[in-house]
Amino acid sequence: MKKLILIVVAALFSIASYSQAKKPTIMVVPSDRMCISQGYSMKFDNQGSEVVLPDYKKAFQNDASLRLVITKMSGIMADRGFPLKDLEAEMKKMEQEAAEVSMMTSKMGSMIAESPIDALKRTAKADIIMELDYEVKQQGPKQYITFNLKGLDAYTSKVVASAAGTGAPSTAAPAELLLEEAVLSYMDEFNGRLMAHFEDMFANGREVRINVMVFDGWGSDLEAEYDFDGETDELNIFIEDWMAKNTVQGRFSLSDGTANMMRFEQVRTPLFYERNGSQRAMDTKKFVTDLKKFLSDEPFMIECKVYLKGLGEAWLIVGEK
Amino acid sequence: MRRVLKLAMTLIAIAAINVTVLNAQTRNQVRKMEYNSSYNYEVATIAVGVDGTKLIEVWGYGKKAEDATRNAKMNAVACAIFKGFPAAGGGKAAKTPPICSNSNAADEHYDYFEKFFEPGGQYLLYVNMSSDVAPKRIKMDKHYKCGIAVSIAFDELRKELEKQGIARALDAGF
Repeated sequence: MKKLILIVVAALFSIASYSQAKKPTIMVVPSDRMCISQGYSMKFDNQGSEVVLPDYKKAFQNDASLRLVITKMSGIMADRGFPLKDLEAEMKKMEQEAAEVSMMTSKMGSMIAESPIDALKRTAKADIIMELDYEVKQQGPKQYITFNLKGLDAYTSKVVASAAGTGAPSTAAPAELLLEEAVLSYMDEFNGRLMAHFEDMFANGREVRINVMVFDGWGSDLEAEYDFDGETDELNIFIEDWMAKNTVQGRFSLSDGTANMMRFEQVRTPLFYERNGSQRAMDTKKFVTDLKKFLSDEPFMIECKVYLKGLGEAWLIVGEK
Repeated sequence: MRRVLKLAMTLIAIAAINVTVLNAQTRNQVRKMEYNSSYNYEVATIAVGVDGTKLIEVWGYGKKAEDATRNAKMNAVACAIFKGFPAAGGGKAAKTPPICSNSNAADEHYDYFEKFFEPGGQYLLYVNMSSDVAPKRIKMDKHYKCGIAVSIAFDELRKELEKQGIARALDAGF
């Protein structure tokens, strides 16, 4: 009996120790302000109003200090177990992929199927954006650096980590050395805050956004009434009940809702779920797929489509597939 | 009446002396508590260290100057682990958070740290003397207070504690 208990405990321990949460990807992106103020920008005429956007490609091709700062940050993050996605390499890969998709044909002459949404989704993206902003300033004969680094959750738009400040003025040190010093100075503080964000995530679940929408061809809406579990109520109330039951400590907020949409923010999803006796990492797609299954069962019997926006955001479109 | 007044004055004087003695005892107790406190580190960041290191000035106490220097080195490493370093003035360096974010780490891993910080222990691996600031020595009543500039191999220390499972790695759980 003792042996049996030991085996069960050991098995449970091994499951717990081998299950790992989905690792967020991190990418450094120069801020819009920095790109535009240094002339790395593109201008568009959007129905009469001029829109200025950062031109990252131009920035990487012309700004040696930007490359230096990103390389330094990448080294530090790789050392901490988070190799960064490189924006420049990612953009080159996207261009290459777009060219290959447009050229590739089968032996029968068929092209690769690609909807406008597929093409739109083919952009460089990461789960956490490290928005970098710095400027070399002059004070008489002295130079100093203002440095601002923000870690943005790409889905909740929340600043999950930050570090900013002004370096000590120097007459002798070149700007590159001051920049290197700034990175070394601020990265520990930034990573300390990032660590606090991850600790919160492990304790209270991953914070994600979920949108529930309706296909216009469905012929019904989220205010349609159903009988479920001995209660008669609107569909949106049952969806809210499901959220309360399946989120960590019932934590979510319905920030907006109409007959045709529900916008859930600060949804805390568990990091793991059990399947075939073992724990697996949960992502937003799996979480929303569970909601889809709930709606496809009796008494609702509604067809739904899951649209994934990334690790931290998914849409459930109700009514059709 | 005079006797009553005399008695009252004597009582007030005794009470005043008692309060002074009690206050002095409290001051002594506070000083002792601060001296023995594991949070009482006198540390200042000097500048940004080279890759993976922190350049700090740290103070230590001891009956002899060598003891005070040894205590300062130990304080430097302990501060890196449990308290972190403050920012340096004038934008010279940003603050550094502690390696162990868990405030109970010292108690939870008592045996490890007892061995780590024993005289000639492993903590010395992560301290290098620096010549950026001249050593300072202050002779106090019965002991010395010494201030030294040291370079802490912060990244190496963090990696060691992560390996031992004492500090949480940034990618732990992923």
